[in-house]
Amino acid sequence: MTPVLQVEDLRKHFPAQGGRIVHAVNGVSFSINPGETLGVVGESGSGKSTIGRAVIRLLKPTAGRVRFQGQDITHLPESACRRLRAEMQMVFQDPWSALNPRIRIGALIAEPLLLHTKLSRAERRDAAEDLAQRVRLTPELLTRFPAELSGGQLQRVCIARAIATRPKLIVLDEPTSSLDLSVRAGILDLLATLKAETGAAMMFISHDLGTVKLISDRIMVLYLGGVVEYAPAAQVFAQPAHPYSQALMSAHLPADPEAVLRRHVLEGEIPSPIALPPGCHFASRCPVAAPACSTMAPELRAVRGEATHQAACLRIAEGANLIPEVTHG
Amino acid sequence: MTLLSVEDLHTHFISRDLDNQIRVARALNGVSFTLEAGQVLGLVGETGAGKSLTATSIMGLLRPPARVVGGRALFQGQDLLAMPEAQVNALRGRDIALVVQSPKSSLDPLTRIGNQLIRIHRAHRQVSERAARDRAVEMLASLGIPDPARRMAAWPHELSGGMAQRVLIALALMNEPRLLIADEPTTGLDVTVQAQILDLLRDLVRRTGIGAMVITHDLGVVAHYCDAMAVMYAGAIVESGPVRRVFASPSHPYTANLIGATPERLQLGAARTVGGPPPNLFRLPEGCAYRDRCPRAGADCAQPPPDVALGQGHVARCHRVAA
Amino acid sequence: MSATVAAPPRWALRIAGITRRSPTLAIGAAILLGFALMAILAPWLTPYDPVLAQPRNVLAPPGGAHPFGTDGNGMDVLSRVIAGAGWAFGIAIPAVLVGLLAGVPLGLYTGYRGGWPDEIMMRGFDALRVFPSIILALAVVAAAGPSLLNVVLVIGFLDSPVFARVVRAEVIALRGSTFVESAVAAGNPTWRILFVHILPNAIQGAMAQTAVRAAWAVRISATLAFLGVGIQPPTPEWGAMIRQGAEYLVTGQWWVGIFPGLALILMVLGLNMLGDGMQDMLDPRRKAATR
Repeated sequence: MTPVLQVEDLRKHFPAQGGRIVHAVNGVSFSINPGETLGVVGESGSGKSTIGRAVIRLLKPTAGRVRFQGQDITHLPESACRRLRAEMQMVFQDPWSALNPRIRIGALIAEPLLLHTKLSRAERRDAAEDLAQRVRLTPELLTRFPAELSGGQLQRVCIARAIATRPKLIVLDEPTSSLDLSVRAGILDLLATLKAETGAAMMFISHDLGTVKLISDRIMVLYLGGVVEYAPAAQVFAQPAHPYSQALMSAHLPADPEAVLRRHVLEGEIPSPIALPPGCHFASRCPVAAPACSTMAPELRAVRGEATHQAACLRIAEGANLIPEVTHG
Repeated sequence: MTLLSVEDLHTHFISRDLDNQIRVARALNGVSFTLEAGQVLGLVGETGAGKSLTATSIMGLLRPPARVVGGRALFQGQDLLAMPEAQVNALRGRDIALVVQSPKSSLDPLTRIGNQLIRIHRAHRQVSERAARDRAVEMLASLGIPDPARRMAAWPHELSGGMAQRVLIALALMNEPRLLIADEPTTGLDVTVQAQILDLLRDLVRRTGIGAMVITHDLGVVAHYCDAMAVMYAGAIVESGPVRRVFASPSHPYTANLIGATPERLQLGAARTVGGPPPNLFRLPEGCAYRDRCPRAGADCAQPPPDVALGQGHVARCHRVAA
Repeated sequence: MSATVAAPPRWALRIAGITRRSPTLAIGAAILLGFALMAILAPWLTPYDPVLAQPRNVLAPPGGAHPFGTDGNGMDVLSRVIAGAGWAFGIAIPAVLVGLLAGVPLGLYTGYRGGWPDEIMMRGFDALRVFPSIILALAVVAAAGPSLLNVVLVIGFLDSPVFARVVRAEVIALRGSTFVESAVAAGNPTWRILFVHILPNAIQGAMAQTAVRAAWAVRISATLAFLGVGIQPPTPEWGAMIRQGAEYLVTGQWWVGIFPGLALILMVLGLNMLGDGMQDMLDPRRKAATR
């Protein structure tokens, strides 16, 4: 089975003021299989949104290779990308600003069909009604303008647009982060249903660990534009191997006062992506860093011999990667 | 000791439409709660529930067209809403401090952070520049800011989000307030930074015995950092009580729905009342504001619901709750 | 027998609401409405044919059969002032349309594309700004001949940088917005992104400028006529009439020039007030400030 998406050593640099370079993504490799949902987590500056945009060519990668259904699309011209957009779609974080405020909901949902199919006007209208129903929107909303809908309804419109042309891959960039809790639950529910119905592969980008845990099959943890851990979802939460993953998981606050927190407080600040430190980028904040960590860049290696669970930390080999338990408050 | 007691607070937005009709949005409809000294109270609710408005109403920071139309806010026994403006001004920034969302835009961009700290201290205390400076350095140090003496000379734009939020908390604490109101203090910050800020806040309350009110939409923050919680819906508190009790037995249907929607409890694919848009404050239903989307609503819900005491300070405002 | 007071109709309430929020806009609109009615009803309002010369009734002072008097050709000044409204609109409206048609697509493209086309356009506009626009207009019309079409085209093209700049600024703000990115991600070709997605959201600022630019067009065309290179007498164009009147001002026949002058001032004032009001209503920041 060919993966829907294969990414090898992806790099993306942006020019910054004064001729300097922002190293947003620094050699990321992963793949997504048909029907699989990959959760991408990381804090601000981890490069997760940049990766999401680069793999569907909303951004041009600086280096590396992106294969979509086996086809190399890394350097495909924009006109060729446009045809491929029927098969790879995106849902954005802020549904209030992701829709053209002057176009009616019905036309917004039907737009991908107008662009990528030869359906007649009437057929598109019928299709828009079907799509609205699939994302649980009532048909009378189709004649409204975006400003008249709530955030949850707007995100459903965005999802309807994204599934209109039956894409093989949907990149979801923080699709629930700006929504209220009860609305968020409905959207997650819908995504889970659509995942089963359409068989589309999804790349679910989020900083909210609770949500990612719920919807992902595998999880990729990013720090400063690099993958630090890449493993099945349950394993990342149960046995995070990379010290950064451990700190990240421990900082997550489950909405349950009885849940016991294992707290690893990180010291220091995230280094600037303009002047990346040599060696492991996390070494400056890592509680278990050894001298070698700040000179030698670690590579993704299987953890405990399991090929599916990979982490990039020199200390794993010595078994010194676990942050000692701190009892707190 | 009860530090803050808010009683039946009503705030309306009164505006004129293009067609000259007066429109009233009933944003707060009888908010009542108390905050004890040494306690962290979490005020939770979704967009438009009136969380921030509750804080700005109490602090007297409303701007037209918003107006408090009824209720009292007793701070150490004195009604903040009935006080002359000058007296409230003297309390704000000294005895009551507010930490607002978006730390970056809340700092004066043209003043070094040290001078901002000194300024707020000397606005309320008769102290020398020297003493204020010493206090500012001490304050930055106690908030875990490395190299505080040098940081005093930093400009706001040089700070990271987490650092700016710490400076904002330092500003709030400069005058040793009795009450700290923090509006979404960690929204927009990364989780690892969020944990640091919240640890700091909680330690502060434990150490100094002040009262803190944390406004948030994040139930995780409430679960782990608050002692008591109050849940808001459509400008009213529908349920309040000790955090563990409310999480263990949410009694108002809205609270139950909210807690059930957290990723920890969410069952994907299970039947559930879907979250709707925020309630229309111009046309709230009579009686219980939640009745048009409540799965357990009945005819009696058209009457104003009673506050039912469930023991140990746990209260729910609902017809369906048995005492 | 119940005497209920009928509620005022909705449109009346709306007008009242707008008037309360922006009295400037309401006054400007009222003035222009007056001029528009004057222009449309001119054939019925004018007591005489505006270009009918009465050689035996030259320079008659105001009063009697000629409320505004007559000019040096014995033409009725009142009739000419009324007919002049049509000419003013007839130049201003097409000129603004030419400005929009030339400026908006230019601003749209350069704003979205950025890079060297944008650079060239902006430098070009800067260069144009070095010359006062009246000098440019004068030179072009003098060279191309003083026809109505030429006047309209010159004023329109001189106006187009204003519209291009306003649209360009909006486009640059919108270019990075999520809904444009979402349109790209959906697979929209560039022309659709420009005209379907960006233009309707970027045009508001330019539309708010139209009234002010129309006022400018009226002024420039009158200036051209006054200097003798625009619309030629005996056409009842206010600028041309003022030029004629200027000659008589020293000899005491003030009415020939003063009345068209007042009409011109009033119309420019009305357009400027309307323009200010429109910018208040359309610009959200200024709207918040006026509330």
